[in-house]
Amino acid sequence: MLLGNLSLSRWRIFLGQVRKNASYFFHSFDYYSVTMSTSKTRPLLLIILAVAIAGGIAIYMSRQGSAETGSPSTAGESAQSVPVPSPGGGRVRGAPDAPITLVEYGDYQCPTCGLYHPIITELQNRYPGKIKLEYHHFPLIQSHSNAMAASLAAESAGEQGKYWEMHDLIFEHQREWGDLQRPNPNPEAVFLQYALQLGLDSNKFMQSMRSPATRDRVLADVTKGNAVVKGTPTFVLDGQVLPNLPTLDWFVDYVDRRLAANK
Amino acid sequence: MRSRALALILLSFLGLVDTLYLGIKRGKPVPCTITNGCEEVLNSRFSAIAGIPISWFGFAFYLTVFSAAVFASFGDSRLLNLIFWPALAGFLISIALVGVQAFILHAYCQYCLVSAILVTLILIASPKPKRISTIPEQAQ
Repeated sequence: MLLGNLSLSRWRIFLGQVRKNASYFFHSFDYYSVTMSTSKTRPLLLIILAVAIAGGIAIYMSRQGSAETGSPSTAGESAQSVPVPSPGGGRVRGAPDAPITLVEYGDYQCPTCGLYHPIITELQNRYPGKIKLEYHHFPLIQSHSNAMAASLAAESAGEQGKYWEMHDLIFEHQREWGDLQRPNPNPEAVFLQYALQLGLDSNKFMQSMRSPATRDRVLADVTKGNAVVKGTPTFVLDGQVLPNLPTLDWFVDYVDRRLAANK
Repeated sequence: MRSRALALILLSFLGLVDTLYLGIKRGKPVPCTITNGCEEVLNSRFSAIAGIPISWFGFAFYLTVFSAAVFASFGDSRLLNLIFWPALAGFLISIALVGVQAFILHAYCQYCLVSAILVTLILIASPKPKRISTIPEQAQ
């Protein structure tokens, strides 16, 4: 009985507290519903406005990168006048007499070069006969363990007349053999697969992959590129080193202006 | 409290710009001016959780901090008083992400490092948690 009374009084205290807490809770709601119209809308408006401004700044910044590369009219002024290696090295894709020359110093294992592969392909498809691509090897051997092998594979395929077919396969399947976190430990096997896919003579291909002459040809590109390249890819457009990485739109704009000026 | 809120507003606003920028640039080449390896970091397998880029999680975080600080500057600091906990979580996640850049990818992305610094400053500026009493009498 005593125990019952005790627990009953405890219950009473507890219920009293619950009631007080509840009324406090609901009162606070009252307070907010009354003041909602004045004290909540303004901060909310401010937050929305701030996000819009932040978005605007972000969009401006994201365009800035490609704008710095120059609206085509200023490209000549902003580009540094680094002497361009004389032609002869590198592989040329597209009409040899195309009015516009785009030189790329690329590393087959660099993700950015991989991103640019479809951009340049698209550009060349859009303007057939107007742009030629001169691709130079610039494998960053220190950080990209399979880049050299990829360059050798492309050159070896080139010996059998399928350089660009191999070039495309290598870039399109970059993740297969060149994932930077998990580079394929045996890239030669992957490239041999590609060679078979392209119908190349596998013996000749492997011989060439391992021949010092092929390696020398790749290294000759690197030697030439050393004067120009600050990172991969480096683009040289009509003799001007592009200080930044342009977008497809920028390229299209440039080509349109160039072609209009030539007419 | 006011200066604290203003500092948090400024820091989280910078965070909003940073994360929105990375959100817009997702899948496109990002100019890497100070550090080397933005592409490696932003395209790595650590750059998204369940297909959602980490930058959008960052955006949600900064938006929460920003909202809390704006409400606090209008006199309602209930949300801001709780912001310490998400800030602590964000700080720990940032440490992990910087660790991934340093020890796994061996590449750094300046925008990610800026975000890590912002989160750290937000943690420092956020009000430290107090014991919360639910019984109003104690406050009297």
